[in-house]
Amino acid sequence: MRYVKISKQNTYEFLERLKKIGTLYAPHKISEKFFDFCEVDDVKDVMFEYQRTIRPPRRFFYPEREVLFTFDTRKVELYENLPSDKKQILFGVHSCDIVALRTMDSKFIDDQPDPYYKSRRENGIVIGLSCLPDEYCFCNVRRVEFVDAGFDLFFHELPDGFLVRVGTVVGHKLVDPYEGELFEEVCPDDTENMSKFEEKRTSMFTTQGNWDNLRYFMELRLNHPMYIRESEKCLGCGNCTLTCPSCKCYDVQDIPSIDGRTGERIRFWDSCQFRSHGLVAGDHNFRETKQDRFHNRYQCKNSYCSATTTSFCVGCGRCTYFCPADIQFKKNLMEIAGYKGGYS
Amino acid sequence: MAIIDGCDGECQPRVGVYALTSCYGCQLKLATVQKIMEIANAVSFESFYMLSSASKHPADVDVAFVEGSVSTEKDLEELYEIRKHSRILVALGACSVNGGVQSWAEGEMTHEELHAKVYGTGKIGMKGLQATPISKHVEVDYYLPGCPPEEDEIMYFISAFLFGTFPEPKDYPVCSECRLAGNPCILIERGEPCLGPVTTAGCKARCITFNVPCIGCRGPVPHDTAWFDSLAMTFKNKGISKDQVRERFRIFGAHNPNLEPMLKKIYGGTD
Ligand code: SF4
Ligand code: SF4
Ligand code: SF4
Ligand code: SF4
Ligand code: SF4
Repeated sequence: MRYVKISKQNTYEFLERLKKIGTLYAPHKISEKFFDFCEVDDVKDVMFEYQRTIRPPRRFFYPEREVLFTFDTRKVELYENLPSDKKQILFGVHSCDIVALRTMDSKFIDDQPDPYYKSRRENGIVIGLSCLPDEYCFCNVRRVEFVDAGFDLFFHELPDGFLVRVGTVVGHKLVDPYEGELFEEVCPDDTENMSKFEEKRTSMFTTQGNWDNLRYFMELRLNHPMYIRESEKCLGCGNCTLTCPSCKCYDVQDIPSIDGRTGERIRFWDSCQFRSHGLVAGDHNFRETKQDRFHNRYQCKNSYCSATTTSFCVGCGRCTYFCPADIQFKKNLMEIAGYKGGYS
Repeated sequence: MAIIDGCDGECQPRVGVYALTSCYGCQLKLATVQKIMEIANAVSFESFYMLSSASKHPADVDVAFVEGSVSTEKDLEELYEIRKHSRILVALGACSVNGGVQSWAEGEMTHEELHAKVYGTGKIGMKGLQATPISKHVEVDYYLPGCPPEEDEIMYFISAFLFGTFPEPKDYPVCSECRLAGNPCILIERGEPCLGPVTTAGCKARCITFNVPCIGCRGPVPHDTAWFDSLAMTFKNKGISKDQVRERFRIFGAHNPNLEPMLKKIYGGTD
């Protein structure tokens, strides 16, 4: 892997230049407690320190709502609405979110190729950013706290700038033109500082070790009393899945137009916390009660990992941080698995 | 259910737009949608007083949109007549779907007490009733909630009927649209009693987008999935009293049968 260094000042200049390549999105502070990926206008507004965004980065490749095609019933024709090939650049993606995007790839590219997702992904540039965890983070026990793929560049915080790992050919091409101008060589002090940062970061996680066997406890303790107690509190609002960086569920609907002839087929994010998610023909419902629906998310995120060896949950903490009912996902999982040590 | 089945655009479905006790805001919304001219070309408005004084009441129609709650005996008679003359009946707006704000006395005061409170000993020229949603009296085929309803949903309903299909109702809460709109959550951040979690989606979290908590104008999420108990628990943990919670839930949800039992479960029988 290639490593370069960039100063904080030059990082701003680099962001300016990225804006010329495509639409640049980066974390912004949107209110007292919340951050979101927003289009960068003034590079000085970019937040280099943040925990999690309220909307997950998957939305840039798999938008909340999109028109798949329009149709004309009289002509019996449909007109595909594939995404344009405009470049989207995401700056400041944490390692958990990068792994979450890879789990999306496993479904939307490897498993069931989705031309809409694939095309946006191919036109996307992902630039990672190091982070320090808060009490909601548990990416380390999910073993995704340090990524070695899935990014074009990855920025590691140093006291005077960033140590940048170059992950792909696209990454090389972003660095090459500015080598010596914006980017410089890494010196032993920088490596030392990166190492110190990682050490500090490791010690900050409130959970330690790994949760490799969680999946099995989830499956073995399907009737754990936690589900009854916690689903009672649940509002069925869907915030936990809509903010989750690895949720994939969508619904599809035809929206007719007033001419009685044409219309569009849209797809939009769905949530297994909603009643209609499990509703099928004949008014049957796979997940009839709120408890069934609550249960489903816990299983899906932790033990339905057919296409990947890691769980879909990457430990980003969103489903707890953005739960209006204050339901503690991490704590509840620990209760099921019987994990004790290291939790505070 | 197909309305224009077989007529291949040649015949126009007959539509009636009626008002019971209401502010006429829903009709106004329908009359002022951007594509009202296209609607007027596609359907034949047999009855829509806001658009034409040549309206009949009631008329034989394929689809009737009824706004307003049943608040007088006259409302009730009219509603029965409308139902008899309509193939499909759509409840239009908060009053029609859930009884509206005028239902606030439901379960708290009898109609006589309410009348005395508002009019004293004064007489009014009609026999009043406790305000109720129209579904208490007649069969309703579709519900188009909102105070007033949203333009895209009005267009969706009419277009779906023109297609010979039916509109799919939303059964998920405002929170989902709030999150997708990228709003900060004001319930989490400011501890304000937002009703988004129990309110039917469709407004794209209109109020929260303007930084105001939802008061539930689109009514409780259908199919008994409005969890007043869980939300009351959340509010209680933030120090909000039973009275405050109750009052808020009742603005647009007084008729929901789950409301009182669920509140009682959290706060107990007393205030
Ligand atoms: S965010 Fe919380 S309250 Fe809402 S559905 Fe998820 S667990 Fe339930
Ligand atoms: S089933 Fe639920 S938890 Fe799983 S991906 Fe879908 S919305 Fe997310
Ligand atoms: S399940 Fe929760 S903690 Fe895990 S990735 Fe999704 S939002 Fe993050
Ligand atoms: S602000 Fe209200 S509607 Fe929006 S997510 Fe929070 S509780 Fe739900
Ligand atoms: S946010 Fe709530 S009160 Fe506001 S329009 Fe939507 S449903 Fe009505």
